[in-house]
Amino acid sequence: MSTTIKKDAALRRAPELGGQPPAKRRRTVSERNRPLWMLTPGALLIGLIIIVPLILGIYIAMLQLDQYTIRKWISAPFIGLNNFVEAFTSTDLVHAFGNSVGFSVIATVITVPIGIYAALATQNAYRGRSLVRSMFLIPYVLPSFVVGSFWRTMLQHDGIINKALTGLGLPAGQWLTGPASFWVLILVEVWAAWPFIYLMALSGLQSVDQEVHEAAAIDGALWWTKLRYVIFPYLRGPVALACLIATLHHMNNFSLAFLLFGVPAPFDVQVLPTLVYSMSFTSLRFGMGAAMALISLLLIAIPLYFYLKAVRLDTGTDAGGKK
Amino acid sequence: MSNQTSDVVNEVPLETSRVLPSKPATRKTGRQTAAVYRLLPTPLLVGGTIVLCAMVAIPLLYIVFSSMNSDVEVARGAYFPTEFTLANYTKIWSTLPLGNGLMNSVMIAGLVAVVSSLLGIITAYVLVRFDFVGRITILRGLIGLQSVPGGLLLLPVFVLFASAGNYLGITVIGTYWGLFLAYLTFALPFSTWVMVTYLRGLPKELEEAARIDGSSSLGVLFRIIFPLSWPGLVVSGVFSFLLGWNDVMFASVLTRPNTQTVAVVLQIFGSSAEGGALPLYGQMMAASLVCAAPVVILYLIFQRFLVGGMTAGGVK
Repeated sequence: MSTTIKKDAALRRAPELGGQPPAKRRRTVSERNRPLWMLTPGALLIGLIIIVPLILGIYIAMLQLDQYTIRKWISAPFIGLNNFVEAFTSTDLVHAFGNSVGFSVIATVITVPIGIYAALATQNAYRGRSLVRSMFLIPYVLPSFVVGSFWRTMLQHDGIINKALTGLGLPAGQWLTGPASFWVLILVEVWAAWPFIYLMALSGLQSVDQEVHEAAAIDGALWWTKLRYVIFPYLRGPVALACLIATLHHMNNFSLAFLLFGVPAPFDVQVLPTLVYSMSFTSLRFGMGAAMALISLLLIAIPLYFYLKAVRLDTGTDAGGKK
Repeated sequence: MSNQTSDVVNEVPLETSRVLPSKPATRKTGRQTAAVYRLLPTPLLVGGTIVLCAMVAIPLLYIVFSSMNSDVEVARGAYFPTEFTLANYTKIWSTLPLGNGLMNSVMIAGLVAVVSSLLGIITAYVLVRFDFVGRITILRGLIGLQSVPGGLLLLPVFVLFASAGNYLGITVIGTYWGLFLAYLTFALPFSTWVMVTYLRGLPKELEEAARIDGSSSLGVLFRIIFPLSWPGLVVSGVFSFLLGWNDVMFASVLTRPNTQTVAVVLQIFGSSAEGGALPLYGQMMAASLVCAAPVVILYLIFQRFLVGGMTAGGVK
């Protein structure tokens, strides 16, 4: 922003400024006349649909709110922290918490090598690459509810997966109930989510300069040495960020578990989002549901904290999760 | 962030630059160049790519084949239909309220896309071009709000909307408006963030010229910024649309049968179809494909813009 423009603009507006001291006349356009009112529609929406419900959620978590008291929820009995105590002592909460952590972390860990590999494999041009790239993204763009519904069909007892397994001489399994269901959820999530790591790794690869490749070639680096010491350092930042975001998304993913297993979900695959949902809308224990939702916020808080620290908020040219 | 990690690497080209001619790539034959930039040995490249493609394609082809198969065959675990038929595609419209669901989804998600992009660009403009107290907090909030779990808000939003009915006499639950407002708000942080990253890349000079010509902030926004930002608007619009299209959680609680979005229609059909004597798997696959088609088409059309957007805010 050149000074002359600032000055011109300041002079132009000078009469309006009235008795302001001369020093302040040099303030930039952006410092005067800030159209902050333009923020109001967004602020109102976020206030009404996010902030107020958050506060309301905290209050509801301390009420004995169920299908009998919901009509007049304002006068529902206030029971303090009892919901929280009960959630920890006599519900599946701790189990679901563990499931959520396990599911999210394992899913992220499995997707990382696949995503990085896919980025490396599509970095060099070859015939048909754009087709491969488009195909890699399809699992990611399919809606969760579609992914859930067709995997559920495939995993039925008489479904294609068991048929293929018996065809190969392997034992058929019960995939949608019992201990296997936890791994099924991970498998399907991995199938749908790895392209995100791939995209982030790809954006990291694009920042590798040509000269770096040439230098590695001159040094006679083998492909593995080159990847390990030359290429991977470029990927560390974007992939670490991708892991944080991906873990957050796994933790918040309700649709997939809901579509695959329904609510109430089988014990082995009960994750926090489905537990909160079934507590609120199947058991109709609203207070308890709100308390559990608040507790689940603790889970999100850890990756979110690192995510917020990692994102550069206010640079002129580059922003956030990108590049 | 990548600056720190790449310091070590950056030293390599500096040292070798004395040895290398300035534009070595052009002096080499194509084959050598390819070898220099190659990242993976050919067997690993080809083998892995085939495995990945198969991993993606086999389930996808399964949906396509099953949608053209009879319900009984799919239930028995057939992959290829013995005879291809499009009957499922005609039957689904009467066995489940798919048309109604599609209409509702298009209406709600479409409106969310338009309004959230508009609000996003307005908010982003203020955040990028003006400095004020709390600006950084808002930017941080935009990221934080994207990660707030829906499950945390679902119940209070439901109670709030129910109270609007009980105490104020405004029916919200079961209407389009309730769902629209919810999706709009959830889409807003991402739309704003996308537009913030986009507007940062736009030169300020045009706006300043317009200001000197006496344009107001609104004038600048709609005459200068808006026409220049449509790639950003496409990204925020498409992702807002997808947010509304893909959601099951809020839609399953805030709708009544006549306002159900297609996601809920499919979910209900999926869970009720299995209770029946003959699960309608073939039709379910056809319906899944119909639900997925708009999303995949949208993405294929705008692929060029969207890939950047996916990494910008970490959608989904």
